[in-house]
Amino acid sequence: MTDTHASHHANYFLVFVALFICTLMSIVFDVIHISNKAVLIVLVLGVATAKALFVMSYFMHLKFEGNWKFVLLAPTIILAIGLPMALLPDIGQHYYLYAAPQTQVQPQSHADVDEHDASSSYPPDQAPADHSQ
Amino acid sequence: MSHARATPTVKMGLPIPNSKLGTWLFLGTEIMFFTAFIGTYIVLRLGSLAADGKPGWPTNPEDTHIRIWAGGLNTFVLILSSYFVVMAHEAMGARNFARARQFLQLTFVLACVFLGIKAYEYYGKFSHDVLPGHIAETDEQAIRKVLREMDAVVLGRLNEYLPAQARDAELTLPNKIDLAGKNEDVSDKEARRHAVELANEFINFKGHVLDNISFKIPLERPESIVVTKDGQQVRGFVPAAVPGADGKSVFKIQSADGKTIDVLEENVKELKAGAEAPPVTLAEVEDKLTEMREHEIKEEEEHEGYGSWLSSVHDPHPILYGNLFASTYFLMTGFHALHVIVGMVLFGIVLMQGARLHAGWRDYVENIGLYWHFVDLVWIFLFPLIYIIK
Repeated sequence: MTDTHASHHANYFLVFVALFICTLMSIVFDVIHISNKAVLIVLVLGVATAKALFVMSYFMHLKFEGNWKFVLLAPTIILAIGLPMALLPDIGQHYYLYAAPQTQVQPQSHADVDEHDASSSYPPDQAPADHSQ
Repeated sequence: MSHARATPTVKMGLPIPNSKLGTWLFLGTEIMFFTAFIGTYIVLRLGSLAADGKPGWPTNPEDTHIRIWAGGLNTFVLILSSYFVVMAHEAMGARNFARARQFLQLTFVLACVFLGIKAYEYYGKFSHDVLPGHIAETDEQAIRKVLREMDAVVLGRLNEYLPAQARDAELTLPNKIDLAGKNEDVSDKEARRHAVELANEFINFKGHVLDNISFKIPLERPESIVVTKDGQQVRGFVPAAVPGADGKSVFKIQSADGKTIDVLEENVKELKAGAEAPPVTLAEVEDKLTEMREHEIKEEEEHEGYGSWLSSVHDPHPILYGNLFASTYFLMTGFHALHVIVGMVLFGIVLMQGARLHAGWRDYVENIGLYWHFVDLVWIFLFPLIYIIK
């Protein structure tokens, strides 16, 4: 046991209590039904970030590590943020006309369905006329 | 530089053990691994809109079977286990190996508890068929899923009464019903009657659904509309034209109120074959399924041994974007659970040392601790993103 190591000793139990309280807060935010979704997102992700900082700083000792932590973690974090950012304009935002097939269901006419059935694979072993027997 | 003057205090590289550097590099790749999943989940979720342009992602717990208490409890379990790991590392530093083992044992137990709760959640998803590719997203898909599942049930039931060689043969359902009915080797004729009844009822059911005709109209009498040349419309069941009194062929249209209306074939401009019949609805299919289930239960009460076959057919329940939801849910939580299992193996390796645990394991315990905290970190973000934000 070296002296430098002794300085790492945070009060881990207090950190655990802080994490526990944060978790309770998240659940309370769910239970009280915040109607404004943006507020809810900011609150719960804020709490999650606080928890993550507690875990990284104390449990993972990053608070006590040398500057190598920045060199090592910065590139991965940049790449990690880059992927969602790169995808966001294409899928997450709709600057083009939006058309998911599930949402475009129109009431079908009888004839349409008949035609559809004739070409559909269901049921595979049975012609549509079989039900009349 | 002379070898003689080499001082052992000068150390190249970072002031941390190589194993710890390796662990951190690995965790760097893990950050990218999980943010790829979490990031795509967020992007897909933002991109999933309903027809009205509002968010269409399924968030109703009735649909998703997401249980906030299960997620919250698992969060607590993981942060407690993280605390135990860090205490184990402290105990290793203080050379108190027995205490370190105790904390690692507690961590191992908590990892089991986490997986147990996760398994409970997965069980809920499996039993309700909330699985990628299994979820009906529209009414029509939901109706067809009922049909597909009932088809499997009916065939399974009927196979019991088929001659062995006919079981795997590619026969139509009516053929199989016929063969089952004639099979002399069947000992329980009453149970066979039940199976054949079920199969016939299913054929009728399927006929309605595939013809997309409301159950309110008998299948053999699909309503049609006869449009005459002077623009009148006559609605009813239209049998083939027959020769009338004066030799001209006549459609004898039977209307819904029991009247027969004669229309000369030469006056008919257009015959709409059932096109105006109200289409079958999901609610009707649900009612019919319930009715058939109730009938089955009643039969089971009268004659034990039939079994409630239709209980394995899932209630039709379309969930918009349900498949995307299930895919991302299982991808994220599944990979997280795999990491928990790997962590348990790593803890197990230390625990297997038993009383032989010594100071040489300190770095190992620190490294698996770092890994475990990372697993905790991932869950810290999964919990609000999957369980809370609605």
